[in-house]
This record gives sequence, C-alpha cells and structure tokens, in this order.
Amino acid sequence: MRRLLQPHVELAVSLAAVVVLPIVLPSIAMATEVVIFIIATLGCNLLIGYVGLMSFGQAIFFGVGAYACSLTLLHSHVGIGAGLLAAIAASAIVALFVGFLSTQKRGIYFVMLTFAFSQMFYFIAYAMAGLTGGDNGLLDIPRPPLVLFHVTLLSLTPPLEMYGLAAVVFVALFVFLQRVITSPFGSTLQAIRENEQRAIAVGYNTRNFKVIAFVLSGVVTGIAGALYALFLQFAPLGNIDVSMSERIIVMSILGGTGSLFGSVLGGTFYVVAGNMLSAIWPRWLLLLGLILMVVGCYLQGGLLGAAERLARRIGRRGPRAMTPAASNKPVGRP
Amino acid sequence: MSLYLIQLINGLGIGMIYFMISVGLSIIFGTMNFVNFAHGAFYLLGAYLCYAVVAATGSFWLALAVAPPAMALTGWFAERYLLSRLYHAPHQYQILVTLGLALVIQEGVMLVWGAIGQNVATPVLLQGVVVFGSFVYPKYRLFVIGFTALLTFVLWLALERTRYGAILRAGTESTEMVALLGIDIFRMFSFTFALGAYLAGLAGGLTAPISGADPFMGPGALSVAFVVVVIGGIGSFSGALAGGLLIGVVQSEMSSLWSEGANIMIYVAMALVILVRPRGLLGRA
Repeated sequence: MRRLLQPHVELAVSLAAVVVLPIVLPSIAMATEVVIFIIATLGCNLLIGYVGLMSFGQAIFFGVGAYACSLTLLHSHVGIGAGLLAAIAASAIVALFVGFLSTQKRGIYFVMLTFAFSQMFYFIAYAMAGLTGGDNGLLDIPRPPLVLFHVTLLSLTPPLEMYGLAAVVFVALFVFLQRVITSPFGSTLQAIRENEQRAIAVGYNTRNFKVIAFVLSGVVTGIAGALYALFLQFAPLGNIDVSMSERIIVMSILGGTGSLFGSVLGGTFYVVAGNMLSAIWPRWLLLLGLILMVVGCYLQGGLLGAAERLARRIGRRGPRAMTPAASNKPVGRP
Repeated sequence: MSLYLIQLINGLGIGMIYFMISVGLSIIFGTMNFVNFAHGAFYLLGAYLCYAVVAATGSFWLALAVAPPAMALTGWFAERYLLSRLYHAPHQYQILVTLGLALVIQEGVMLVWGAIGQNVATPVLLQGVVVFGSFVYPKYRLFVIGFTALLTFVLWLALERTRYGAILRAGTESTEMVALLGIDIFRMFSFTFALGAYLAGLAGGLTAPISGADPFMGPGALSVAFVVVVIGGIGSFSGALAGGLLIGVVQSEMSSLWSEGANIMIYVAMALVILVRPRGLLGRA
C-alpha cells in the first residue's frame, strides 16, 4: 500500500516539526508536552495501526514508566539515563505480563481485558500510596543533568534543554519504529492485522508476534511516561488512569493509524487544541467529542487520511492506492 | 453484626442500580456485538434530567415518570441516526464514536447545569427512616430496592412472556437467524437501545437523591457496568442481575475493611472471567 508520504519524507517532516514546534507554539513547555504525547501515540499506533489491536492498557505503561523513572531518581543519586532505563525495564515487564494474558483473546474481548487491567493497575497504584504517593502522586522529582562520560551534555534546567531531550528521544524512537514496521517482523504484524487466520495458516505463531508488539508498544509508552514525569517533575495518579488510555487512543485514531506520521499529527493536534481551546472555553471537550463522532463515521483515516484524500483530489498525481477508508466504509442501514 | 447487615442491604440497593445500568449494555453487547462507551453518559444524563424536573416542578415522582422516557428517546435517536452506521465498521470506530458521544453528553451537561454536582431532595413521602426494633434504615433506600425489584420482575415477564422478549432472547443467540425469520432486526436494535437507555436513565434518577447528580459519574458507572456484564455473562439478563448484586454487596461489605482492595478484586475477577470463562457466570456457551 503506497502512502502519500514515503518513510524518508515522513522522517524529514517529523524532523522539521521538531525544529518548528518550539518556535511556532506559544511556549516551549507546550512543545515539550506535544512531543511527549506524540511518543505515547506512536506506541499506541504500533498496536492499532499495524497489528489491529486496540489497547486500553496504554495508561498502565505510561504510569508505570513515570513511577519507575521518578522512584529511581527520588531514591538514588543515579543519572537521568538510569531513570529512563528503569522506566524501560519496568514498562517492559508489566507489558509482557498484560500482553501475554490479553493477547489470548481477540477483538472486543481483547479490548475488555486491557480495560480490566488498566483499572486494576490504577487501583493498585492508588492502594500502594507508600510507593506511588496515591492520590497525591509523587512530588519534587529531581531532574539531574544528562551526563555522558563525565561530560554534561544537557543541564536540563532551561525549558529548551528539556525539550531537546524529549525531541531527541522522539526522533530516535520514530526511526526505530520505522525500522520495525518495514522489517519482516513489521510485515508479519500487518499480515496479522489484515487476516490473522491466514497468517496462522502460513505458519506464523501470531500470539508471539502480538506479545512482542505489545511489549514494544508498552516500552515506547513507558518512555513517554518517564519523560512526562521529568518534564512536570511530578507523577500524578492521573497518569495511570484509564482516561489517559482513552486520550492516547483518541490521539492515535484522530491523527490516523496505519502510518507513524499520523501520530505526529494526532498528538500535536490534541495537545495544541486542548491547551489553546481550554484556555478560551473550558467545555472544549464538547467539540472534541463531535470531532470524534465525525472521524469515526466519515473520516476513518483520521487527519492523515483526510490530507491524503485531499491531495489525491487536488493533484490526481498523488499515488492512487486502495485506502483503508475505502475498504472500511461504514455500511449503513440497508 | 448489625453493621454487616446494614452494609448487606446497602449493597443490595447499589447492586440493583448496577443491574439496571448494566442490563441494557449487556443485551446490546450480546445482540449487536457493539460496546457502547456512551452508556455511562446515559446514566449521567438520566440523573440530571431528574434533577432538572425536580428543580422545575418540585415533584420527584414526575421526574421519575418523565426523565427515563426522555432518555429512551435519546437512546433511540442515538442508535437510529448515529450508531447504526457503525455496525459493520471495525470496533475501534464504534468505540471512538461512542467515546465521542459520551464526551458530548458529559460536557453538554456541564454546559447546562454547571461543573459542580447538584443535590436532589428525597421525596417527602420517603424521608426519614424505618425502625424495626434495633434495626434502623433510610426509607428511600428501601424504596429503591423494592421498586427496582418490582421493575426487574416486570422486565423478566416482558422478556419471557412477550413476543418482543422472545425476539430479543433469540437475538442474543443469533441475529442472522432472527433476520432470516423475517423480523426487522434494525427496529429491534433501535428498541433495545431505547430500553437500555431508559433503564440507565432510571438508575441515574433513582441514585440522584442518594448521591446527587455529578457531571463525572458516567465513566465510573460505565466501568462497573463492564465488570457486571462480563462477570454475569454477556447478553444474559439473569447474569446481569447476579453480577450486579454480587459486585454491589462485595463493594459494600469491603467498604469499611479495604475499599481499594475491593476495586482491585473486581477487576481481577473481570480479567479472570474473560480468560477462563468468557461466557460468564450465567451466560450461554
């Protein structure tokens, strides 16, 4: 399936976005939040867009990543790298557990299982107030400078340096995920999305592929959670709330699944619109709800799909391909 | 002893409310294989409509007569003009649209009635307590248990003894087969949605004098309803009743001991049921 943007173009546009965001957005803090949520959305997109799995468990990994990084930095004097590694390890372990169990079921039962796990981990985090701070969250998380071989790369005190860290991590993960989805492993994932029975018939152990994709997705989301904790210097209980999963899912589908660049659009749109509209009108979520209904009914390719359709209509030069929107067209009442 | 008894009765009341929220969700899930994330918002809107009628007229009974049918109409419209487009779409779009609808209802409620919760006065007739020797219990809560039990019986009769009930029960087995018999299943879907929204709205109205109407009561009710639906068995009326009462009583009895523990437990139970016994306690295989 050819897309409007080829992978290297997507990467170039994403790099450009990283440079432009802190300049065009009203604050560097907002740009940092955008980039962090794009990372979380990339993780979710890997599952929805490339394996066809809709996980309500993303908040677990976002929250666990945030807690693991925060606790490491709060209780020891190791560097920021160790905090991020702790987030990666913790979210990988939890994602392996949740993914191993959830992928036993398909379709809506998978969704319900991830939903149950998400609530379970929320109440566990709430109950373990001694560790997680419960309702208050973890406060005053240190943000040590990024040091490599005794050379301070980033002090992380000015907002732009925190943005730089998030941006570098984002670009690295974007390239990594592009490699993953264009690899034979990624092609197998897409085969599972298109027709799991056939993938099984060809001889793939689709369970294993789904679990690995789930862990990858959990780790990417966990890194986003860790960066969010570093950025806020605060790890609220809300990180692990199922509404965080919903937020990440909404960003993914709104931007467009089936292409990593969709996540860049979705994350940017949600965070920027959220920040700007909520300042003007506290009920902006009403608009978001209407947008979700329109996207779900008419624009199933999301923002990226809409852009592709527009480009095709204008140019008729763009690649003509069978879009997912055409094949998934909702069938109304006969 | 009497504390546990009172918590048991509290739990039965909460459980009946859970049942009324869940039963529509369960039947919709069972017949249309459609997960309605806006179901919690129906419960929320039911509570607020009840509040609005009480605030305007002062009559709780009028509110109870008017608000749930208004919710049935809302559910019918939502199904007919929005959700029915999505029956053939992949489930992520069904979830996206119903999440959107839930947001629209929740934010709409805050737009009209404000972001702070509202209290609904207990009707005069049911204020005060009932005293049986050493046993003292609020009248209104007893009324809720009695009223919902009566309603459950009526619903059960309707499902078991009427033609529509037979169609609905057949629908949870196989909608294709029902359609082949020449029954308009799309009309049945609309009606089922209306019924589900009616019951969720009624549950909201009945809870309002106990815990008030709060703009954020939707998501919590929805996730408990998911637990009830899964544990009872998807599409099962008696399962939703058993599941609702079980969750209500467990939560109530655990509330003074370890309430977070109760919440962890019910989601562990939900995951276990999906993994080990997907048809639930009382669902058909």
